[in-house]
Amino acid sequence: MVTLLLISVAVGLLGSLTGLGGASILTPILVFEGFPVKEAVACGMVSIIATSSGSASSFVRERIANIKLAMYLEMFTIIGAIVGATITVLIAPVFLYFLFAAFLLTSFINIRGSFEGTYTSPAKQDRLSRWLNLEGAYHDQASNKVIKYKGTNSILGGLGMFVAGIAAGMLGIGAGAFKVIVHEKVLKIPSKVSTATSTFIIGMTALAGVSVYLFTGLLNLTLMAPMAVGVTIGAIVGGRGLNRIQDRNLKILFIVVVILLIIQMLYKGVTAL
Amino acid sequence: MTSPRLGSGETKLETIISYLLIVGVVVSVILEVIGITLYYGAYGNVQVSQNQAVFISGKNFFAFIIFQTQHLLGSQNALLFMTLGLIILILTPYIRAITSVIYFAWEKHFHYVLITLFVLIVLTLSLALH
Repeated sequence: MVTLLLISVAVGLLGSLTGLGGASILTPILVFEGFPVKEAVACGMVSIIATSSGSASSFVRERIANIKLAMYLEMFTIIGAIVGATITVLIAPVFLYFLFAAFLLTSFINIRGSFEGTYTSPAKQDRLSRWLNLEGAYHDQASNKVIKYKGTNSILGGLGMFVAGIAAGMLGIGAGAFKVIVHEKVLKIPSKVSTATSTFIIGMTALAGVSVYLFTGLLNLTLMAPMAVGVTIGAIVGGRGLNRIQDRNLKILFIVVVILLIIQMLYKGVTAL
Repeated sequence: MTSPRLGSGETKLETIISYLLIVGVVVSVILEVIGITLYYGAYGNVQVSQNQAVFISGKNFFAFIIFQTQHLLGSQNALLFMTLGLIILILTPYIRAITSVIYFAWEKHFHYVLITLFVLIVLTLSLALH
């Protein structure tokens, strides 16, 4: 448990800085160490509640996370997570390796496009987004400016988050990378608000997933406890760092992490055949 | 650290949620650490176990909470502390959902009351029905 605790601290830190949530890094490591994949997925899902809540707390206090946007999108992610977790409980474990690899691959293809450029608020909001009052402002410490923004395409964004929820529930991950893409590309929200809001949403999505895994006999307390403690410490430290890192650096870190995860999971998928 | 007020109107909710999240996580982590320490005291090692006793079992989360807390008093059971840490962790976003419903009702943001109520009902059903 001590080694696991130390690995979890490092993963929690990285997960929080990149908005990935942590478990997408930790779950492959646990599988690599010989733990059953479904057990790793279920415990990963629990550790995500801790990661998300630990780092979301400071994002919320610093007004970077958009709570209204988060609550609207949570309607979709929790249903997705319940569906996803139910599928995982029912299917053969070998499918999970491939799904993990495929999911990470998708997130990399989409992130490339959002690398450059400063934020410009969409000129028009659709009716639902206006009704939901999807707008906000945050103080960007890196540029020392208050950045105002508006969200749009709420229906498409909601559907995207439903898919993110399925992936999160199935793989026991936050699906943070995918959620950030939906926020930035579909809902047109600035990068930092996307990461912070995604981190906030991940906790609720993970709770929905855990509600399915809780009594399936997959939750190992001696695995879950050090994971939860480790990622929480890492996430709280990481959450304090986000607002001070330049957008560009954040995206480079994001891309590097996603590349490493893809290599890891493709290797896993092939060797599991 | 002080952040400027940005006029979003939800600053009070943000403050409440921010504290709720951090308190929930800190309490949960403390319980897990106590659990791990007691586990070491009882078994002389901190290896991850595959014994059936370390796996959570039950049917309804709310009945499960009552059952676990009844066994807490005077107990030095490592697994019980780990279980309570898990319960607090699960309750953290759950209470966040309840708080949001109450806040939006208080502020008369009725479409957000509906949204948060939907989230709360789905979570309650999923936690209770197994």
